[in-house]
Amino acid sequence: MDELEFRRRVYANPGDLEKEVLDAATANPDLQRILDESVAFEDSLAASIAGIEIPAGLDEKLRSLANESAAADIRATVSTLRAKKQSFYQYYAIAASLVLAVGIVFSLNFNAGPSSADVVFGEAVLDHLHHDISEINDITGGEVYAVLGLDEVNSNMVDAGARLANPNIEVRSAKPCEIIPAFQSTHLVLQGAEGAVSVILVNNSPVDVQFSIRDDRFEGIILPMASGNMILVGEQNEDLSQYASLFAENVEWTI
Amino acid sequence: MSDTPVLEGNTKRQRYESLVAALYQDVFRYAFWICKNKHMAEDLVQETFLRAWRSLESLQNDKAAKAWLFTILRRENARQYERYRPELVDIDGQSIAERDDAEPDSKMDRELLHNAINRLESEYREPLLLQVVGGFSGKEIAEILDLNNNTVMTRLFRARSKLKVEFGIDAEGPE
Repeated sequence: MDELEFRRRVYANPGDLEKEVLDAATANPDLQRILDESVAFEDSLAASIAGIEIPAGLDEKLRSLANESAAADIRATVSTLRAKKQSFYQYYAIAASLVLAVGIVFSLNFNAGPSSADVVFGEAVLDHLHHDISEINDITGGEVYAVLGLDEVNSNMVDAGARLANPNIEVRSAKPCEIIPAFQSTHLVLQGAEGAVSVILVNNSPVDVQFSIRDDRFEGIILPMASGNMILVGEQNEDLSQYASLFAENVEWTI
Repeated sequence: MSDTPVLEGNTKRQRYESLVAALYQDVFRYAFWICKNKHMAEDLVQETFLRAWRSLESLQNDKAAKAWLFTILRRENARQYERYRPELVDIDGQSIAERDDAEPDSKMDRELLHNAINRLESEYREPLLLQVVGGFSGKEIAEILDLNNNTVMTRLFRARSKLKVEFGIDAEGPE
């Protein structure tokens, strides 16, 4: 291997030299000197390129982008849905006046699937559960939490704009939470058959359609209600339907 | 190096956070070197990760996460900045991190080298940065830059030759 070829190969990829290059250096002191200088130079080059000051707090800013983006997507979706609904009501009123005589009834209930923003919201719910998990793990693990009084439960539901009307619902943990910025919520935890059952009430309507969420641990459902969303999440195989009807009948929205 | 899987977790949020934790420093370094200004680099990195969050589902192979982010960053840089900004270079040495173990001579050398890298033409600087910051192989660099492998290796050779000539280190002049 001549010197030019040696230089070409060492300079192009000094971090991953082939055996042929290393053998050539061993056999020729001039090539060995070039190799040694290149290794030393590479250390300086790497230190210079890597030695850029990373702005303090940049990682935190980047993590918060996900929250801000999800919230913006959801707000945009809500705004669009509301605009569509408002527009629909206007057309509906005109049409209804025309067709009332023939008795046609329009349904306002659209059963569209979740939008991408809804899916993002569902991801945020599951993520919230994985972050806010100590009581859930305790209850699923068999720890018995005392049943909270109705006043204590309701004091933690103020920000969510809801209250519980039935003192016989056995709530084991209640605290305000915020799944997506600007959407105040409350997170109630009950003891279910398979472990903890979370009931999250959101004081707005980030989603307008009912849909299921799941990951490799939790299964849940997001339900649009009159003035907000109710989210039910349990361990796998938990029967959530009983909680849906129980809370639908006993939650009063105070917004 | 470049094929290290970085995405862990079950939810999109967890995968995204592991992406940030593993790669944000390298992405910032790369951004800094291609736009030469730390404030613009920070904006560029934020835009890159925002786009990554929005299209995380499209990342099929976790091992390719770094190449994917670097490609997003290059496109974003081209789209947002390259046509509209004047040549901005940080004040010499301003962005070089202080190291407790650095002797004065060592810091000066790093500043000189820092400026010499900045003066390299982008066709030589870019593959060099992808190799040193990104840890990419010649083949990966060729894919990112849409070049063939021989061209990449030649440019890497010339980039180091130019730097060594500038520093008076024994080197054949770049051909």
